[in-house]
Amino acid sequence: MPPLAGWTLTITEAVEVVEQNVPALNDVMSLLVSDFFIPVVICLIMLGLWVGHPDPARREYLQRHIMNASVAIGISTLVVTIINVHHFWPRPFDPALPDTIIQQSAYLASDTIFYHTHDPTFPSNGATISFAAATGIWLGHRKAGMLIYFLAFLWCFARFYGGVHFFVDIITGAFIGVLTALLISKVFMPRTEPCPTWALNACRFLYIA
Amino acid sequence: MALDYFLLVFIGAVGVYQIASIPAGLKGLWFFGQPILQCLFGIAVVVSAFAWFFTDENRNFQHTVEGAQQLGLFLISIIAAYVFTAILASIIQSKVDSCPEEPVKGKQHEEGMQTLKTTTLIGGILSSLRKERKSWEEDN
Repeated sequence: MPPLAGWTLTITEAVEVVEQNVPALNDVMSLLVSDFFIPVVICLIMLGLWVGHPDPARREYLQRHIMNASVAIGISTLVVTIINVHHFWPRPFDPALPDTIIQQSAYLASDTIFYHTHDPTFPSNGATISFAAATGIWLGHRKAGMLIYFLAFLWCFARFYGGVHFFVDIITGAFIGVLTALLISKVFMPRTEPCPTWALNACRFLYIA
Repeated sequence: MALDYFLLVFIGAVGVYQIASIPAGLKGLWFFGQPILQCLFGIAVVVSAFAWFFTDENRNFQHTVEGAQQLGLFLISIIAAYVFTAILASIIQSKVDSCPEEPVKGKQHEEGMQTLKTTTLIGGILSSLRKERKSWEEDN
């Protein structure tokens, strides 16, 4: 059980009440919690930004930020993998969990709208990559960044609602994602020039940038 | 599952290219002459892809497409969708100069997809090849 998991108890009980009384919400959450829906939407928004600006200079500026966000997603996933290698925290629905109230509530929720995944719960990989993407894009395009933050928030809430994560998993994942994106965009990528420029030139040569 | 995911992203990306190429003015990617028709087609394609994929009741189960594989499939899908869009647009369009008389200005690694404002992918490639051949002949 991850540190501070007890924070989730009150929220978990509230979610359980909603789940039992508003079944239509379960259908919406079932879509939002999916491993594919919000990640694909976020990536397609990034793809639209990559192509969609009429001004070539502004388009290049956005493409650099999309590259930064993509690198941030990769690096933050690596950070999560390293944490997972050293510490395996079970999911909230895991029968080994000492707190049976959380365990049973989470089991019911994940059984209703998701599935019982077996990988470690802490930190949330979904929160990490979605917040890394949102921060990377926000630095280059405020409105698109806010939209992706909103989608990231929805995905994280759905994961919590579905009993897939503890609250602290999501907060930690979001923190890792935001921090990684800031470091990549502000520190790492500017220092790796001219590599990003070479990559963009190669993409331009192939008509994809 | 991997094939389904590939198709979701591929079809979705084709729709996004159709929508995003309107404000960018990349006529070399257009399937239709009218922006409104182009936009409606793009939206319909994206919505159809998502509707097809997510109306299947068996999407939320322990699947075999893990994170790294998802990323790899996504990249392959969007590149395949781009090539598909550019080639299909090249075939469909005859009004947009697929074989312009004047070669594209500047070098391709400087112009990039900006070339697609005035020509199609195949037209751009032919133009670049023609320019390379001309400069090679001048050198010799």
